[in-house]
Amino acid sequence: MHVYVYDDFLNRGKYQKIINRLEIRLTDLGLNGKIIRLAGIKNIRGVIQNEIKLGAKTVIAVGNNQTVNKIIGAIIDTEIYGDFQKKTLLGVIPIGDDNSIAVSLGIKDMEEACQILLARRLEKIDLGIINQHYFLNQISIQSLDTILKIDDYSLEIGARGELRIINLLSDSSTKIQSNPHDGYLDVYIKTKRNSETHLRAKKIKITNPDNKIIIDGVVEIETPAEVTVKRDQVNLIVGKGRMFE
Amino acid sequence: MFNKANRLEKFKDAETVIGASIKVKGNFQGQGNIIIEGVLEGSLKTDSNIFVGDQAKITANIEASDVIITGEVRGNIKAKNYLAIGDTAKIFGDVQYGEISVERGAIINGQLSSINEDNKHTEKIKTEDKATISSK
Repeated sequence: MHVYVYDDFLNRGKYQKIINRLEIRLTDLGLNGKIIRLAGIKNIRGVIQNEIKLGAKTVIAVGNNQTVNKIIGAIIDTEIYGDFQKKTLLGVIPIGDDNSIAVSLGIKDMEEACQILLARRLEKIDLGIINQHYFLNQISIQSLDTILKIDDYSLEIGARGELRIINLLSDSSTKIQSNPHDGYLDVYIKTKRNSETHLRAKKIKITNPDNKIIIDGVVEIETPAEVTVKRDQVNLIVGKGRMFE
Repeated sequence: MFNKANRLEKFKDAETVIGASIKVKGNFQGQGNIIIEGVLEGSLKTDSNIFVGDQAKITANIEASDVIITGEVRGNIKAKNYLAIGDTAKIFGDVQYGEISVERGAIINGQLSSINEDNKHTEKIKTEDKATISSK
């Protein structure tokens, strides 16, 4: 059974047409299923967990990065997670802005997402964890005055720029090739002095007195924060054009 | 050997790059080839190769297979296979190498010794020790 989780922002009038088109397309392809609208639901975790318990074979996030992370956050580290890992696939239908996760998975738009759901090409992907939050793509922070503590050493960054910790690469602006199956995170720093830094790590502590960390381009959290990675945690339905092997 | 293209050929897919705006403190043990363009204090080690850029300032002991130095190193260097010292290099410490090349203009303040010769020397001592023991 397919369970479509519509994020609450899709309640806005401007998305009505695209939702109508989506539902017609899914019916045409024989992919229709149960729809859960998150707008107005307070216990998101409970609702999603209940669908897994009821035997949902595929849970599809309809919305953006935050929708995907809400679903993962509702399941990871709960008693039904074992069932989810064995029996349930996670799909993504991108609508609106902030859809870098879909881009990483090779899903350009809603139309393509429907075809990809039908094809059911699967990949097991690592999951990034920062404090109590989960991320598939990356976290980012202003590089100036950021200190990273990794294993037996620390990195102090003395210039403005961007610092990203990447699980699943979502664009080709970096020279690195991130592998979301290897149990490592890629640290990538590009400063305005045009110097680039990259290295791999499993566990990173981040501090910055003035700036916040942004998770998957959506959620902001304060430092200090600890980032780790869990290997092969989520079964995702992906497109041919995904940004990883 | 020291034109830029040749110098970086081995390192074009380096797994670890420390850029010019970065200061590393502690024991840095990288995976694969490492490029250092910034500041490092502590120790630096890999089973693969290390390139120290001309703007880099390292206060650490360095150990790797091939090592190319074009920046400043204060500490001992052990290049198990090959050590290349460029014209802009400043080294303050002892250097051990399998093979070595030094460009004109480089500054080295420390002892240079060949690992192969050291090994031969050690082997010789061991053999002499055995000979002494068996003769007793």
